[in-house]
Amino acid sequence: MPTAKTLAGVLATLLAGLAGPAAQAEGQTEAIPPTANLSATWRAASRLGYAPTPAWPQAAASPRAWALQQLDAAYAASKRPPTLPAELAGINAPLGDIARSFQAERETRRSARQTPKPGMAAAADAAAGNEKFSREMAQGAAAWRLMSCSDPALENPLLARMTEFWFNHLNVFVGKGPVRPFVGHYEINVIRAHALGRFEDLLLASAKHPAMLFYLDQAQSNSRGLNENYARELMELHTLGVNSGYTQKDVRELARILTGWTVNLKDGEGFRFAERLHDKEGKVLLGRTFGNESVAEGEEAIRYLARRPETARRVATRLATFFVADKPPPALVARLAAVFTDTQGDLRAVMRSLIESPEFWAKDNQLFKTPLDFACSALAAAGGVRDRRDIGQTLGFLAQAGQPMHGWQTPDGYKTDANTWLAPEALTRRADYAMGLAQRTAEPAYLNAFFSVATRERIAQEPAQMRTGLMLASPDFMRK
Amino acid sequence: MNSNNSSSPRSLQRRSLLGIGALSALSALSLAAPGVWAQAAPGLNNGRLVVVFLRGAYDGLSAFVPYADKDYYALRPNIAIAAPDGTAQTAIKLDKTFALHPALAPLLPLWQQGVLGFVPAAGLPAPNRSHFDAQYQMEIAQSGKTSSAPGWLNTTAGIGRAGAGGAVALGVGEANPAILAGQAAAVRLIPRGQSAERTGVLANDKTRQALMDLYGGDDKLSEAFRQGAGSRMQSAQELTEQRSARAEKMAQDSKRMADRMLDRDGTPANLQALNAQMLAASNGAADPVGLQLDAQHLGTLMRNDRKLRLGFLSAGGWDTHANQGAATGQLANNLGNLARGIAQLRQDFAEPGDVVVVMSEFGRTSAENGTRGTDHGFGNAMWLMGNRVAGGRWHGAWTGLGQLNEGRDLPAHHDYRAVLAQVLRGAFAFGDSQLAEVLPGAKWDKRLDGIFNKA
Repeated sequence: MPTAKTLAGVLATLLAGLAGPAAQAEGQTEAIPPTANLSATWRAASRLGYAPTPAWPQAAASPRAWALQQLDAAYAASKRPPTLPAELAGINAPLGDIARSFQAERETRRSARQTPKPGMAAAADAAAGNEKFSREMAQGAAAWRLMSCSDPALENPLLARMTEFWFNHLNVFVGKGPVRPFVGHYEINVIRAHALGRFEDLLLASAKHPAMLFYLDQAQSNSRGLNENYARELMELHTLGVNSGYTQKDVRELARILTGWTVNLKDGEGFRFAERLHDKEGKVLLGRTFGNESVAEGEEAIRYLARRPETARRVATRLATFFVADKPPPALVARLAAVFTDTQGDLRAVMRSLIESPEFWAKDNQLFKTPLDFACSALAAAGGVRDRRDIGQTLGFLAQAGQPMHGWQTPDGYKTDANTWLAPEALTRRADYAMGLAQRTAEPAYLNAFFSVATRERIAQEPAQMRTGLMLASPDFMRK
Repeated sequence: MNSNNSSSPRSLQRRSLLGIGALSALSALSLAAPGVWAQAAPGLNNGRLVVVFLRGAYDGLSAFVPYADKDYYALRPNIAIAAPDGTAQTAIKLDKTFALHPALAPLLPLWQQGVLGFVPAAGLPAPNRSHFDAQYQMEIAQSGKTSSAPGWLNTTAGIGRAGAGGAVALGVGEANPAILAGQAAAVRLIPRGQSAERTGVLANDKTRQALMDLYGGDDKLSEAFRQGAGSRMQSAQELTEQRSARAEKMAQDSKRMADRMLDRDGTPANLQALNAQMLAASNGAADPVGLQLDAQHLGTLMRNDRKLRLGFLSAGGWDTHANQGAATGQLANNLGNLARGIAQLRQDFAEPGDVVVVMSEFGRTSAENGTRGTDHGFGNAMWLMGNRVAGGRWHGAWTGLGQLNEGRDLPAHHDYRAVLAQVLRGAFAFGDSQLAEVLPGAKWDKRLDGIFNKA
């Protein structure tokens, strides 16, 4: 993808040409946009990425063709390791290295507990020094999410979007102690790597990663002490969906099938099947008998769940809700589910079908930015993450807005609809973030092409140092 | 053991006189006995209601410990709370059946004053072990329904207020909880923690004006922004004033104490040491944090704006599948935070018609699992606090842990909506038609009729 610089000349020409049609826009954001391509470009860039970049005119020629190109580019990128900045390389270190550092951290903490220091000193140790490694790993993972969602030179924007979507679908919570050091590795090697691959490969990779094994307590479940947590959410959230016909008995059977699935931190493989902890009696899941086939038994069960029609429907519904409309058109959901089934869960094929659908481009299918959408798009307009302050301010904003990075505690993931996020006082807090970010940002004049006349004219009355913040805080910038 | 703690012979007799004693305990709302408050005109002005939702299914069997039940200790060899023996590591005796978790000690005075009670085994009409589904159904007060519906606090806020402006309900913490969502009434939502006290860029006149102009339209987004700007500035101002008033009072108090000491022995007191002493007396918490701070914000804003009659708070982190701990540990820490929040609420919600309800989507398994935690169960304890609450006792049926639902869970002897119906009648004198509107399809449960004191 050409950079902004090489396109500067093209951009100037195109902007000049667009001044006419743009001037016809009305004051309301719901009004018909100046040209179909501008509206479609905004939609494609904001939904299949986070925001248009200065290079947007390249997409505007044919937003649909551009979007399909992006899909292929995102798929290709998912097959390569991400371009992590050197200071963040640690979050994607080999699993064995992360596990060893984590083990060492735990040992230190344990021995500190056995030889307690008096009062405050011990408390301070526990709060800070001892868990420096885990904390820095979690911070690094969060920083990478912000960098990758806001800078096309670092990450393909659609791949960043798909990573967000699947992370949220297979959510883990960074506040749960042992998840912390692994969250970056999980995001890169499980989610990003399979985000446009086959669904069942993604699901299996997540099932075997320490982040998920720890998060939903699977690492601790065994034949003598069953823990139903992961088995339940695997059916309720990751695959079939609630009320899709499974029973409490099925939850227990699946939990029994997965007994022995645990972490292997010592040898650095992350996952271990502990034969001796496996329940070797027969099980019946959703009417299908499972014998005692050790690890293959669980793999088979997970693939079986991934291939069920209820799963196809659930994945299709979630994708259409995320990318098209809060209440997605049923016909679109049905088509996407059919593609999912026909291609055995080929997520790239499902996304292609979504991009080619008329529903994706239909004006009536509005979406309102979540706090994360808003923050990533504002950062992108600012040219990406520039320094630590950008990261600190953005993570603070997200936490306060109710969508903390990797910080959704429960496995359902955050919601993405306007009903959840379009809340009065919260809207005004977006302005705080925008004005703060804008203090160090050159005016993203290219965005003006997408804004209504009323917005542009009102902002033009203000001095330069206020304009950028107002652009990012404007109603026009809140929709995607 | 099968007791029904709240049905005294006297109240049964009263019911008989009213001519409904012969009906089944569960009657449709239209058959409900005319309560004492039926004489008061139904309406939100009769009281205030605060709902505290514990997301993730808190372990009620650790909060209200059935210490006299042998099964409890057999089912939970590692995580049971030890029976009361007067020490800090054991439960605190409430009566011959239940004891409080030691981390809930701040609530003991409320129990003793008779303003805190609980229903030990309430829940959804049928087990639903999905957190999200069960929470949603409890927030819309309709069981088995997963499609979109208004939250019951929103419906409540709309009762008798057709077309009236201004918010009646205030939520602290969540972006837009389902329980408050709906078209019946406007709600006010503020964030958790100290950020609720800040005005941000709205403090700058020029910036505020530009933003108000940009959001000058009559579309939903613009209207929301303008409304949000107004309420945020008001919230921030009120909360800041409250904070400085508190700081000033503390300064005066310590000066007074210092003056007194000076008078007594003629030597100047060490002000710093005094301040430290006062801090220690308030459990070392100079400024409340967590749920307590949110509770304080809720109390302040609802005190200043008397139109606000409904409050909502939530706390997460209750899904203790592994290593939940016992007298200490993760659950104990969470309960301690909750106790401080509830005690704070009592300070601001002690008017005659005020009621605080604590609820959670379901209970946890009666037995501990293989990882010293508990899995998703069914029945659970609901708490009630207020001057009209018949506190210092528990209400409804309790059958111990000998007979379990599906062999694993505490049964839900009472529909949570039947408890809420009692609450809405107790706080707002709601009649049958209002109850049917807020809690569609719910049945009146006479076995709970003693929850509220007769006026």
